[in-house]
Amino acid sequence: MPIGPTCIFFMNISLSITDLPSVLEINLVLSLVFFILAISVISLILYLRVHKNISNHRKDKLDILLIDFINNYLFNDDFDKSNEMVNFKNKHLKTTLDKQVATKQILVFAENLKGESSAVIKEIFYGYGLYDFLIQDLTNKAWFRKARALNVAYQLALNLPSSLVDSLINAKNKDVRQQAFFYFLHRSTDNPLGFLDKVTTPLTLWEQIHIENGLKSYEGETPDFSNWINHELISVRVFSMKMIADYNQYEHTPILLEFLNHKEHEIRLQAIISLRKMEAPEMIPTLIKKFSRESIQIKQEIFKTIGRIGHVEDLKCLAPYIQQEDTVLKVEYLKIARHFNPRISAEKIDEFRNITL
Amino acid sequence: MKKKILVIEDNPMVVKSLEFKLLKEGYDVATAIDGRRAMEQLETNSFDLILTDLMLPFVSGDQLIEHIKINHPNIPIIVLSTSTQEDIITNAFTMGVDDFITKPFSPNELALRVKRSIGSLKKTTNR
Repeated sequence: MPIGPTCIFFMNISLSITDLPSVLEINLVLSLVFFILAISVISLILYLRVHKNISNHRKDKLDILLIDFINNYLFNDDFDKSNEMVNFKNKHLKTTLDKQVATKQILVFAENLKGESSAVIKEIFYGYGLYDFLIQDLTNKAWFRKARALNVAYQLALNLPSSLVDSLINAKNKDVRQQAFFYFLHRSTDNPLGFLDKVTTPLTLWEQIHIENGLKSYEGETPDFSNWINHELISVRVFSMKMIADYNQYEHTPILLEFLNHKEHEIRLQAIISLRKMEAPEMIPTLIKKFSRESIQIKQEIFKTIGRIGHVEDLKCLAPYIQQEDTVLKVEYLKIARHFNPRISAEKIDEFRNITL
Repeated sequence: MKKKILVIEDNPMVVKSLEFKLLKEGYDVATAIDGRRAMEQLETNSFDLILTDLMLPFVSGDQLIEHIKINHPNIPIIVLSTSTQEDIITNAFTMGVDDFITKPFSPNELALRVKRSIGSLKKTTNR
């Protein structure tokens, strides 16, 4: 087979390289490798940039078409809805990207329009075949697709098969789990926290905050938080105790009083905080009785509670249980003493000091 | 003659929907995507109603309303905003807006309120 001029050129180069001293040879080979690497990286960056520009351009174009279509569907009585829907779907919603853009645009409409338009927007969503796409996302392995599907479902008030959503309540990924919480909270008509019964992994503080915020926009009846006060997870119990206080469910005060003697530290702590918020002075005798056996954190909460809803005599009862070297508690004690009597002299404060151990 | 409405809003979807709905209702519609362009439009054209958002780029909704009330005191203003805070709504009415619609809004309800505001302008002018 004849050898081409290019081959001869490269053979000559390789021969002349091998003739060079080894240091120069290594230098030259490495330079060549880095040059090829640099060219490849630059080409990749250029390719990605061009690809992104093309897809952004496509997205912008599709956005305009979608806005136009949806507006016609919503407001134009002469619009041939069924035929136009089929045409649009076949012509413009072919790829995953197209469907994602359409879903996003529908969400923007849903976010801004209400009343009779909401039902029509949902009709368009189904008409585009986006519900099937959403189910595909939900069954996908990628966490972000699952999270997105749940988000779309609750924003558009869509019902999803419980077999697909229930397991996501305990998903490992925190975003998926959070979106699953939101889905159940917003889709429920009478039991927004019903999903807590299925929670088997502890609620993080952030998750508790998100549920609390979600509840603020829940339009139905406020749930009875005592339903989860005996949940197997401490975090769920703590959350429900917090909510009992936030929503002033005073009828559950006796249960919270019982929790002052609970074996779990977190539950005792939250019981004190919630009862203080609900201004329940009946807890003070129990707090005084248990003071010496509690942790520093709980002792501080007891001081705060006495300062808020107790008397100076209650405070004095605690003094014998404070060690002289316990600076944190001493400061807390003296702060509350000052709170009860702002004009108290330094000597008087010293008297308090003398009472302590 | 068709009544002319200026829509000032930076969300393209909302602009298009408002334009579409109001054109269908038989109005002439001009749009501006920020406060600065709205001021330019107000200098060169006359309008029967202004529909504006409060959160706008360059010139805020409050500044824009103040400008309109000084330079075009007879044009009714409807605010279309996501804000549901009482102080913001009260402040808008104190500045002299005629109506306040919160987002999400019902397009049919908005059309009725536009009609009512333009009607009130007609009555004021006749007096």
